[in-house]
Amino acid sequence: MTSFALAWRTATCYRARSALATAGVAIIGALLFDMLLLSRGLVDSFADLLNTSGFDVRVVAHEGLPVLRGPIHGGGRLAADLRLLPEVEDVTLVRIEDAVIPGPADDLKNVTVIGTTEQGPRSAWTLLQGADLPRSGTTPDRCPLIVTRHLADVRGLDPGATLNIRIAVPGTASALPQIACRVVGIADFAFATANEYAVATTMSALEAADTTRGPDEADLVLVRSRSSAGGSAAARAIVRVRPDLHAYSNEEVVSQFNQNGFAYFRQVSVVLSSVTLVFAFLLVGTLLTVATNQRLGEIAALRALGISRFRIAAMLLWESALLVGAGGLLALPLGGVLAWRLDRLLRQMPGLPERLHFFVFNSSAIVEHMVLLAATAIVAACYPIWLAARLPIAETLRREVIG
Amino acid sequence: MVLRVTCLGVACCLLFGVNAFPDEPVLPDVLVTRQLAARAHLAVGDVVAFTTDQGGAPATRFRVAGIYEPTPDPMRFTAQRMEARMHLPDLTRMTMDSTDPASAESVDAINLRLVDPAAAQAFQLDVRTRVPGITAYPTARSPDRDPFAVLDRFHVAISIVTVLGGTAFLLALMIIRAEERREIIGLLRLVGISRRSLLAAVLLEGLFIAAIGAVFGIVLALAGQGIVNRIFQARYDTALVFVRVTPSIALRSIVFAVPLGVAAGLAASWTVLGRDVLSLFRR
Repeated sequence: MTSFALAWRTATCYRARSALATAGVAIIGALLFDMLLLSRGLVDSFADLLNTSGFDVRVVAHEGLPVLRGPIHGGGRLAADLRLLPEVEDVTLVRIEDAVIPGPADDLKNVTVIGTTEQGPRSAWTLLQGADLPRSGTTPDRCPLIVTRHLADVRGLDPGATLNIRIAVPGTASALPQIACRVVGIADFAFATANEYAVATTMSALEAADTTRGPDEADLVLVRSRSSAGGSAAARAIVRVRPDLHAYSNEEVVSQFNQNGFAYFRQVSVVLSSVTLVFAFLLVGTLLTVATNQRLGEIAALRALGISRFRIAAMLLWESALLVGAGGLLALPLGGVLAWRLDRLLRQMPGLPERLHFFVFNSSAIVEHMVLLAATAIVAACYPIWLAARLPIAETLRREVIG
Repeated sequence: MVLRVTCLGVACCLLFGVNAFPDEPVLPDVLVTRQLAARAHLAVGDVVAFTTDQGGAPATRFRVAGIYEPTPDPMRFTAQRMEARMHLPDLTRMTMDSTDPASAESVDAINLRLVDPAAAQAFQLDVRTRVPGITAYPTARSPDRDPFAVLDRFHVAISIVTVLGGTAFLLALMIIRAEERREIIGLLRLVGISRRSLLAAVLLEGLFIAAIGAVFGIVLALAGQGIVNRIFQARYDTALVFVRVTPSIALRSIVFAVPLGVAAGLAASWTVLGRDVLSLFRR
């Protein structure tokens, strides 16, 4: 009989114990798997969010993201200059303003207004209803608007409806006149938070609505690099042309957020992964040790029958592998369900883009999960193997008979 | 040496220059954070210069009156706290625009303490109505806008999963232990000790072990909190406390752990106590 067969017989002989130990490993393993997903999930999700926006370089006036409010003067001229660069394929100016939707004092809605010069299909939002923003000069609308689904639901807006907004002037106790905008479409905004009221309009409409800022002023310049050049090369080329500005490729933005914004979850995941592994090692190790102590007579009998030390050690290792392996496999679907629940819980955090996720599936997490659990199984089996290997056969059998 | 610093009083981003003129006459005072003092090698009494101009001029001189530990902010614990605090008039003088008389009276925010804190929402509405462009926010976060309330729920969820995993292992261990004592229990039953008495003994034993385990766990957590705090405080150069074992947390742990331990012991023992006496001797 092989070592594996012996281990399998032991596991099936003590069914309740094996089932409970497997369940324990599955639950702890699910937690470990989730922590591995969490360690990179937010960064992967954020990178995905940036990459699907269709632009791979962000140009701002001040150092450090996500400070977007430093105005960039002469945006039109800058866009024209950047388009001449061989590394650059397309440039879009973005301006962001705070505004309110007028109403009774207790029902004022703060809204973020995004003005953009982008002409093509917009990937910063997914259109759900109506039409996209018209190309400049193709519509008589003074202020065409795309509104978020959340705002449309709250205000009962449909395409064609009129929405009055008033641009807020920060730090000044004065108000600009409200303007009547026409809702052309309803969309999900990629970077909007779940409860945020956001609207998008054309840059020319926003410039006309906000007379307090200079014309041709942008808060952010989005650049799409040529695929032959890449984002980093385009960012370097932009800084060479305009050293007064700061250009960040998507990779640099993600790296900055990884260092600062996501540090908490990275640390939580490291701490919890380590604690979970130690926990799993202690529990499996204790369980195997207690089970081995209980079966010392049985092991001595096997040795007396001529089964070698090596095969006994291999049997105990297989027992550990069976417990941890079965538990580890069960941990994957269990971890998936748990990750989904925890992700929903964490996404209730205020101020996060609705499309950002904390737990993102990736195959390397499965590999790491398996490697870590395999190492745990081996280490946890060491002490019981040592116990079984140095077992005095005759003395143990005599003690067993007398007992 | 030039550093970018946040000046408090009115929050603004400034360029920072250090010039040592210790014999300079009366200068306005400034407080700098411990981190800034270490980075710029500043000591109390040093003279420093601040300017809002990226070009470096004209700078205003201040004397370092003290070095302080910034109030730990869990929302910004990864940020380097390069900050200085000065009197508001000094900062206003430094940042005012000579062509705009109103700039001498400009501030970014005003902190208020209301006579009746419960009237915060009414006050907020009142400000909105009377002063367009100014928004009032209560400093206390409502639970639905508090990221730490969400984190708290996350940690509770993690601890529940850990307890579930631990309970499964505990049950497995208890079953092994009960099997070990099968014959002793059989003997006790044969000499006339009732199932109820044996169950009570198991209950008491379980209570004792679970209580010792819970206390050991709390002692381990107390020891661990110091290590975790020291590691993270050194890593992020902050005085923020990351882990704190409070009496209520310790109590919650005991309230969870002890009944679970006792229940696991009882459930495992019942697999032996519930059997016929002869079957305990494999007869």
